[in-house]
Amino acid sequence: MAQNTVAPQQKPNKQKNSQFSGMSKALVRRETISAYCFLLPSLIFFVGFVVVPMFICVFYSFMEYGLGGIKGFAGLDNYIKLFQDPIFHRGFLNTVLIVVIAVPTVTAFSLWVSSAIYKMHSVPRSFFRCVFYLPVVTGSVAITVVWKWILHPYNGLLNQVAGTTGFDWLGNSSTAIWFIILILFTTSIGQPIVLYVAALGNVDQSLVEAAQVDGATKLQVFWKIKWPQIMPTTLYVLVITTINSFQCFALIQLLTKGGPLNSTMTIMYQVYDTAYRLNDLGYANAIGVVLAIIIAIFSAIQFKVAKTD
Amino acid sequence: MKKKRILALALAASMSLGLAACGGGEEASTESPSGNGGESTGAVELNLWSFNIGGFTDSAAWEPIVAAFNEANPDIKITVTPINYQDGDQKLTTAISSNNAPDIIFEGPERIVGNYAREGLMVDLSDMWTSGGSDIAEGISSVSQLDGTYYMYPLSVAAHCMAINYEAFEAAGALQYIDEETRTWTTDNFVKAMEAIRDAAAAGTIDVTVPGIIYCGAQGGDQGTRALVNNLYSDYYVTDDGSSYNANSENNVKALKLLQDMVNNGSMSANASFAASDELQAFANQTAAVTFCWNYSNYTQYAEQTQFTPFAMAFPSDDGKPELEMAGPYGFGIFNNGDEAKIEAAKKFIDFVCNDKTAGVEAVKTTGFFPVHSEWGDVYADAEDADVRAPFALMSDYLGRYYALTGGWTEQRALWWPMLQEIMTTGADVQTAADSFVQQANANIG
Repeated sequence: MAQNTVAPQQKPNKQKNSQFSGMSKALVRRETISAYCFLLPSLIFFVGFVVVPMFICVFYSFMEYGLGGIKGFAGLDNYIKLFQDPIFHRGFLNTVLIVVIAVPTVTAFSLWVSSAIYKMHSVPRSFFRCVFYLPVVTGSVAITVVWKWILHPYNGLLNQVAGTTGFDWLGNSSTAIWFIILILFTTSIGQPIVLYVAALGNVDQSLVEAAQVDGATKLQVFWKIKWPQIMPTTLYVLVITTINSFQCFALIQLLTKGGPLNSTMTIMYQVYDTAYRLNDLGYANAIGVVLAIIIAIFSAIQFKVAKTD
Repeated sequence: MKKKRILALALAASMSLGLAACGGGEEASTESPSGNGGESTGAVELNLWSFNIGGFTDSAAWEPIVAAFNEANPDIKITVTPINYQDGDQKLTTAISSNNAPDIIFEGPERIVGNYAREGLMVDLSDMWTSGGSDIAEGISSVSQLDGTYYMYPLSVAAHCMAINYEAFEAAGALQYIDEETRTWTTDNFVKAMEAIRDAAAAGTIDVTVPGIIYCGAQGGDQGTRALVNNLYSDYYVTDDGSSYNANSENNVKALKLLQDMVNNGSMSANASFAASDELQAFANQTAAVTFCWNYSNYTQYAEQTQFTPFAMAFPSDDGKPELEMAGPYGFGIFNNGDEAKIEAAKKFIDFVCNDKTAGVEAVKTTGFFPVHSEWGDVYADAEDADVRAPFALMSDYLGRYYALTGGWTEQRALWWPMLQEIMTTGADVQTAADSFVQQANANIG
């Protein structure tokens, strides 16, 4: 028992000794203080604009809170209401659908495109990176306006080409969510492609060549050599795409406002709708807290799975 | 190392100072001179948040009015922040919940009285009504108050109406179904006119895609679809005693069924991705032959785009006697920020804009609507576009009940357009959908 408790304590000491070997205690202290001084400005903003609002959000979620301020303590009422709210149920299912479809699709597609372009000459590679990154820098509002024009029921490009004038793609509860996912996809692939091109370019070529000399197939080279080396990038892409998909808001606000018949309602949009249209701030905060918990759970699962791999 | 520490400390200090500077901004501007040559004694700075009503789309539209006010009141500085109906509620909610509400708001009773006064956020303006509201119609004064206390002082008013593409109607032989003089039509004639437009479009006689569009993609402009449904068989949106929403009444269900049938037979279209602005755009570019969201403000906004005559019409009704929804009355409310000096200054400004005939007429003209003061008469009599404004003045004769102060109004607006989506785009049973709407809307009526 005693041995078990001593052993883990020695390990950090060893690390610490090696990390600061050759440095006096005074020097270490000065370095540490300097580091904290550099961190301080960011820390102030992080605490002030992220941590504190998070706690305030949790606090308000237990309150009956409207435009006139806090009207009283609501206890768990907002959370109970949430689990009985059919719009929240629909929003939750739609959010999960968006995440489940968009995240693997974005990751796989961007990896595929990156694999195809990362070995190209710098000019065409930059061209393709630029093309795929354009929707990211263009901004969701401009992209949405263009899509709105493409999908316009009477004058839209899609209906003109398909000969389906009058069909309301965004006004049909069977099709609207799929177009939201499609547009989200087009705006989400730019950053992963840039990251993957860089990651694939950094794969140790000596290992690749050695594997090829040993007779490894292309699939084996990818799966056994490249994939493990780009795993940190993949994990980052997965987490970022998941969070972006959960927080998909602008597209829905500008295109469908959660309709038709809540078919594109998401948890994120319901937070906005409840807070700013219905002025039920306590309930909106409760939805926000639940959304944060769901995102945290998804991210933790992704980290766990990626770490296991 | 020493340099690093100094640099780090300097950086941290500058950031902290930066934050302090941000925090101190408001105080600094409050103490600044208010445009009277640097004297700050007694100076008051007011923030006016103005919705985009008529021509009040930017702060420049307020400049002549504020300048005229400042001639007599140099110590009161007015800062105008224009907001719109797309994100104005979001900005106001954020401001109110962070104790930064504006001093004055320019809007209608739906928000000033129905939302903010009901939450106890507004200042009692009853004294202003005592001194200056004697010639304001009872219908307007009644919607400016809550439980006998006035929270809004009105400036102008109009009626929401609809419009037709005159040339398209003429070419389709549908003008026979409207009374051009009174600008009214019966429900039967409305149905016939829409069928005539549909047939003419199919035959290629006229170049429109659909006769009309029931827009139900968002709540913007929902007064149009409400008025359409309520007028078709002369019913109301809320029961007489205001105790219940009324979409499931016999006549309203009949109206909804009629519209559903029209959608099914192609004499009307329904779009669950269209808000009023989309429908207006479709009307302006001749995709649709009618719009259900018309007033003088929209006329001016789309005038340059329309290559036809937009002919303002009242909503069709079975007895030919329409009852239109009030556009406005638009006016002012004061948020109670606890500063008596600001409240008094705000009242002075409102009194100047709404009761001073010279300034008031200019302000009314900027809204494009009509004055609430009956004693001011026809303010557009000498206007170059008096003939264009005349139909909108005529619509004021058809003003009906105002029900936007009914309890749970905000919540029911979030239910109305999904109900229309259900009925018009999925073919749902009208009575069931209307019953469901009323049940949910009444849950918040209080």
